[in-house]
Amino acid sequence: MIRTESIHIPFTYAAGGTSSIFLAALRDEARILATPCPACDTVICPARSSCPACGGPTATPVDVGPAGTLVSWTELADGTTLALVRLDGADTSLVHRLAGGDGTWVAGQRLRARFGESRTGAITDIVGFESENGAGR
Amino acid sequence: MRSVAVVGTGQTKHARRRDDVSQAELVREAADAALADADMCAEDIEAVLIGNMELFEGRGLPELWVGGGAYGTGKPVMKVATGGTSGTSTAIAAFHQVGSGLFDRVLAVGFEKHSEGHTQTGMALTDPFWDRAVASGALGNFALSVSQYVAAGHATEDQAALVAVKARRNAARNPHAHLQMPDLTVDEVLASKMLAHPLRMLDMCPQSDGAAAIIVASDAVAREHNPRPAWVKATATRHDQCYIGDLDRRLLSMRTLRDASAHAYTQAGITDPVRDLDVAEIYEPCTYAELAWYEALGFCEAGEAGRLVEKGVTSMTGALPVNPSGGVLSTNPVGASGVIRVAEAACQIHGRAGQRQVERADLALATGYGVYAWADVVVLGSEP
Ligand SMILES: [Zn+2]
Repeated sequence: MIRTESIHIPFTYAAGGTSSIFLAALRDEARILATPCPACDTVICPARSSCPACGGPTATPVDVGPAGTLVSWTELADGTTLALVRLDGADTSLVHRLAGGDGTWVAGQRLRARFGESRTGAITDIVGFESENGAGR
Repeated sequence: MRSVAVVGTGQTKHARRRDDVSQAELVREAADAALADADMCAEDIEAVLIGNMELFEGRGLPELWVGGGAYGTGKPVMKVATGGTSGTSTAIAAFHQVGSGLFDRVLAVGFEKHSEGHTQTGMALTDPFWDRAVASGALGNFALSVSQYVAAGHATEDQAALVAVKARRNAARNPHAHLQMPDLTVDEVLASKMLAHPLRMLDMCPQSDGAAAIIVASDAVAREHNPRPAWVKATATRHDQCYIGDLDRRLLSMRTLRDASAHAYTQAGITDPVRDLDVAEIYEPCTYAELAWYEALGFCEAGEAGRLVEKGVTSMTGALPVNPSGGVLSTNPVGASGVIRVAEAACQIHGRAGQRQVERADLALATGYGVYAWADVVVLGSEP
């Protein structure tokens, strides 16, 4: 005998203090914040309360981007893209999508964040990253 | 720590679906095979460790539902969870339980019934703020790092295809393996569907139903129960940062596996792994990963892994056969996959690997991989 069913699981999830500041700045001012780690001398984006490398406390958030460089990208079978983008001023990469263009992307190319019109306090308030010289390449 | 050995191994037949058994029965099948292999009965087992990827099946608390199947009733039972490395971590936990003197006979069993869940959903249950909103699970994550690895000139698609062919042809000699493709060719791999550039269908591991178990015993017990115990020479585990943007050269550096293997080699006295090891069972989620692991494991210099597979160094007749079982590319019940690596390495030392047995297996390597967040390394040997 085989039983088939599905489960819907409601949940909530707290971003935490520093990441909430990041998400509010994204929503309210279309700014991208990162946190410097004084111990590692690196700037971590998205902003977090502790350094992912050394575990130490981070300093007051600073602005990074909205321009940056494409580190790596892929295209899935459904046509969606996935990219690592190193924003200017940051030492880590943001995981995001590429927007517009003809689908030809090259690691090392310059990109710029495109912000959505109505923003909700989510990483998708950045719709995606487009070529710095306009959509696509 | 006192000497510890693997004295018995057992595996189910792995397949796309095992509708003929419940999860508890699947676990029982592997446990019974391992007990028989160790010439032990269920009453001999003092403690049970379980490895499984929670949420890959449609129910929580797997250790509750399969504990009895693993002969755990009335005994200490717990689940060990470290993502994809769960199976190797479960084995390592058993080594520590016996090595510490806590128990003399421990059963470690890993299982997964991918067919009963929705793996893509399980893999997509990542951090809702940063990952889930933009990424779509393991495939995109792999593809990002693989495209970087390829862009850096470390492997070509033809070299990756050779890994796919090696794995599925080896699997044809393993009666437990899921995907057995004795006649697979490079052209067929290259013609398979593109899933996420540059990863094709046949570059990726399958999703399998299956279970694997090992019996771990202390020194004196081990000698009673196996004429050629597989002694634990070294273990090492490493965790790393979870956000893929924080370590954006992951496949190129793979520092978890690099650090863990360096630590394990020191413990085991290995200075040249290709020369010193007789066989390796490594956890390779895709073809390119196997090549990257060759570099991280010190089998070759950076960028030389493709040539290693071209020269057949890691084939069954090469200097260091890698994955005689067919590896994860041929069989992947995730919670079991790490246990399978350790079981296969032990089985080679025991001299019980049948048609996939390598000549003179005195030192064997097994590894586990949990996305980029975990790596486990185990070295087993014919001498304590
Ligand atoms: Zn730091």
